[in-house]
Amino acid sequence: MKKKEIFITSAFTENSVWRQILGICSALAVTNLMMNSLVMGLGVIFTLALSGFTISLIRDYIPKRIRMMVQTLIIASYVIIVDLFLRANYPEISKALGPYVGLIITNCIIMGRAEAFAGKNSPFDSMIDGIGAGVGYTFVLLVIAFVREIFGFGTLFGFQVMGDWWTKWSIMVMAPSAFFMLAILIWIINTPKKQVG
Amino acid sequence: MGNEKKLFRENRAYPVVFMLAITIIFIGVLATFYQLSLEKVESYRQTMMKKMVLSVFELPIEDIDTNFEKYIKVNNIDELMYYEAVTDSISLGYCFPISGSGLWGTIQALLSVTPDFSEIINIEIVDQNETPGLGGRITEKWFRKQFQGKTLLIDNVPQLFSMIPENEKTKSNEICQITGATASSKAVVDMIYKNVLKYSPKLRADL
Repeated sequence: MKKKEIFITSAFTENSVWRQILGICSALAVTNLMMNSLVMGLGVIFTLALSGFTISLIRDYIPKRIRMMVQTLIIASYVIIVDLFLRANYPEISKALGPYVGLIITNCIIMGRAEAFAGKNSPFDSMIDGIGAGVGYTFVLLVIAFVREIFGFGTLFGFQVMGDWWTKWSIMVMAPSAFFMLAILIWIINTPKKQVG
Repeated sequence: MGNEKKLFRENRAYPVVFMLAITIIFIGVLATFYQLSLEKVESYRQTMMKKMVLSVFELPIEDIDTNFEKYIKVNNIDELMYYEAVTDSISLGYCFPISGSGLWGTIQALLSVTPDFSEIINIEIVDQNETPGLGGRITEKWFRKQFQGKTLLIDNVPQLFSMIPENEKTKSNEICQITGATASSKAVVDMIYKNVLKYSPKLRADL
């Protein structure tokens, strides 16, 4: 497969969130602000790209029976690096994201890509695949956060876009709205496909 | 050579050795990263604390380190830490860390009071995990501002403020709660009460 093809497939055609319904816990949790979603997305892209690369690099040496332990260790290490980096350099964002950065470790997308792709393909392809899956995930987060932030806070990336007349929708700030938004998004994207297929 | 390697990889000990080796490598990398970030994290934490202390006394927060040196004294009494703000050898008041349970976790704040403990000067929220946009609004200025100048002690007992709906006019013993975040608003009022109860006898005995 060509690099571009790998990227498009893992980012959009086989998008982890709306095609595979993976990684939705964090998609629900951090999407009330665009900024948090973006940073979360970047963290996931970084982890996916590097864990994919590393796992693929040593894939021939990993004993089959303990491969999941090894994958978890590698993924966890990269996530902790992201967490430390944010804590040291962007403490405010790190505080806003709270435990969710650490919880990237449990994001099914990463383990999923490690099992489904990195274990069988070359390091560079795995990295492209990881970046693709991460971009697809970030895209979903940003779409949901766009709606939630604008209705819930009247802002985008913290900038006021709605005037004083705007009544903030508390529901959009709280978790339930993420369920609605994610469900609507999956519905909209998957509907035309179903009709064609 | 290749044969030997293959043999060892079929050995039952291979997974254990492999896991051990890879764990050591990654732990090593992480420990290095941790050490490198430690200093930055700690210095940020201290700067934030100093900034909060200055701002709770409404002192300039531009030159944090210099101003902190200049105005603030850090003291201890019976293991309780408190700050005193002094300008031209006149005490502006005291400030101490307070904390209590909010809706989702512990809320930490700094409360500053006049030297005679009669009034609240200001309150700053240091750390909270309340719902963003609802309980999280306890950090907003309008909410905190309500406490400014409120009588702290009545007959040596801390005053417990009553809550009224947002945007209504408050009397001296009332605080507007945040709509949709009654629990978080109440938590702030309660923690002021509880902590002043703890701090005021000790501090006032010492003055």
